[in-house]
Amino acid sequence: MIERLSTGKHSLDRYLVLALLILFALVWVTPLAIVILSSMKTPIEQSQSGILALPENAAMIFDNITSASELSGIGNGILSSLIYAFVGSVTAVIAASSAAYSIAMLKIRFPFFWFLIIYSGTIFPFQMYLMPLFGLYQTVGLYDTRIGMLLFYSAIAVPFCIFVFRNYFIGLQGEVIEAASLDGASSFQTYLRIVLPMAKAPALFLFVTQFSWIWNDFLFGQVLAKSDYVRPVMTSLAMLSGTYGKGTIPQQMAGALTASIPTLILFFALQKHFMQGIIMNTAGE
Amino acid sequence: MQAGGLPDTNQVSTDPLRNEVPVTALGEASVETPTRAQALLRKIEPYLYLLPALLLVGGLLLYSVAHTLAISFTDWDLITPPRFVGLQNYIDAVRDPTFTRSFTNTLVWTGGSLLLPVGGGLLLAVVLERIPGQRVLKTLIYLPAILSTTVVAAIWSYVYTNNGVLNETLRWAGLDALARPWLVFAPTNTLAMIVASSWRALGPSMVLFLVGLQTIPPELIEAAKIDGAGERILFWRIKLPLLRPITAVVVIMSVIGSFMTFDLVWVMTQGGPGRSSETLAVTMYRQAFIMWRMGYAGAVAVILSAIVIVFSISYLRATLKRSAL
Repeated sequence: MIERLSTGKHSLDRYLVLALLILFALVWVTPLAIVILSSMKTPIEQSQSGILALPENAAMIFDNITSASELSGIGNGILSSLIYAFVGSVTAVIAASSAAYSIAMLKIRFPFFWFLIIYSGTIFPFQMYLMPLFGLYQTVGLYDTRIGMLLFYSAIAVPFCIFVFRNYFIGLQGEVIEAASLDGASSFQTYLRIVLPMAKAPALFLFVTQFSWIWNDFLFGQVLAKSDYVRPVMTSLAMLSGTYGKGTIPQQMAGALTASIPTLILFFALQKHFMQGIIMNTAGE
Repeated sequence: MQAGGLPDTNQVSTDPLRNEVPVTALGEASVETPTRAQALLRKIEPYLYLLPALLLVGGLLLYSVAHTLAISFTDWDLITPPRFVGLQNYIDAVRDPTFTRSFTNTLVWTGGSLLLPVGGGLLLAVVLERIPGQRVLKTLIYLPAILSTTVVAAIWSYVYTNNGVLNETLRWAGLDALARPWLVFAPTNTLAMIVASSWRALGPSMVLFLVGLQTIPPELIEAAKIDGAGERILFWRIKLPLLRPITAVVVIMSVIGSFMTFDLVWVMTQGGPGRSSETLAVTMYRQAFIMWRMGYAGAVAVILSAIVIVFSISYLRATLKRSAL
């Protein structure tokens, strides 16, 4: 074991490990291949052909998406979720960056207290939010409205954004104060012209992560919405799928595939940010 | 994106928060004696920036937390007014065999998630670290993590259904005896769902461990090798101890995630059949929105929070300390 460093047996081991890893990775992504293949089949074809058999007519996927949409309103869900994810994450980024600006750079009393108040929104399980939000939304008429969904999604995204912005702004402090005092800017001008342009990187990173989070939400769509028009994409998809779903397998897979496209595009366009995202989520740096 | 676009639209808008721009400009014009109102405004101005975030978080999230806590001490069906019952809901929960089973399932989720995605992620990271073509393999293994839990649930429902991917594959391989309805009987259904969840969770934990491994100084490894340390000793005596900070974070995150497991179970089995695969979060949802027992649901949510918060605080301490600069 000790003496193996550069012997032939060692490199043989390495090839064996590599072969096993490749096999593992291929098995790992097989479910994804199955999703794509099944989404292109008719229900009969799906039940009669092999799981990995190629579809007879790939264009069948459009029929499946259309019928899945008629069944669950997933087409509407995609539109709604695009709005929620885009507007919600932008709102959160603006609200959080301005709050973090105040906490990190302006003269306020107990800055760390304010930070903790807002950041404490990340600490509770979502189950603590469900009943009061449901009740509140029913009372004030926000239940099953797009504006109600948007308000909630903005709120839930703020705490993590403020964590990232605060860290970032504390690092910037000196630079900004210097730049601001040079042209005698008001605090708002400083925020708009100096701080925000400097914060492009964290803002983009947060936009991407919060966009994906909102896009992927199922639970709050389930609790705060019911109509096809308001229900977000994942909640619609859930109506098709699972043990209690009402779609056929090809409809379910076509739905699952369509619902994943935006986050897949984001991932491949901004892979770096995603990886950075999970590191930031955990390491806080 | 948006932040980059903002400074260009550099003009006074109708947003109430931006009102201070003309005011300060005015203040500068009439230099010497700012009026009292202006002085006051100057003082509160920094707080105005906090307002949107505070309103959103306080008005929707923190309000809800306090309200759920209050609900947990009442008997409430959402129609008749809530009635104060003290700790009765908590007592009911602890005595309820369904709650006990749900709690046990949640613990199984916690253990399973520590074993598969966390333990597996560590193993993969250590093996992958020295492999050429690491990038491609890493991306492939990470791929499922981009999908939402709901999509993962949809896919794995198909994998586990009677004539689904798993049973068909087993039959094809001549292992008919192993084919079974995976989501019907406990504890198989919970274990099957943990595997589905691990499919999504493995990639991120692997990436984190890879990052951790990169921070280990190569000289240290070289020195140990020269001293004759084999791979096994290298792992147990050097890599694992040095990975401790990142391991702590991954473990805490995994535990928190396990305790909050909802989407996957709800989509795949709705906690059934016969409530056999419920987790705490599913029990809470069912009590609240299917059975309309808001008080009981509140108690379950509070118990769940108590556990999660203990772990969250240790997590926050770990991360805040590191980012305090």
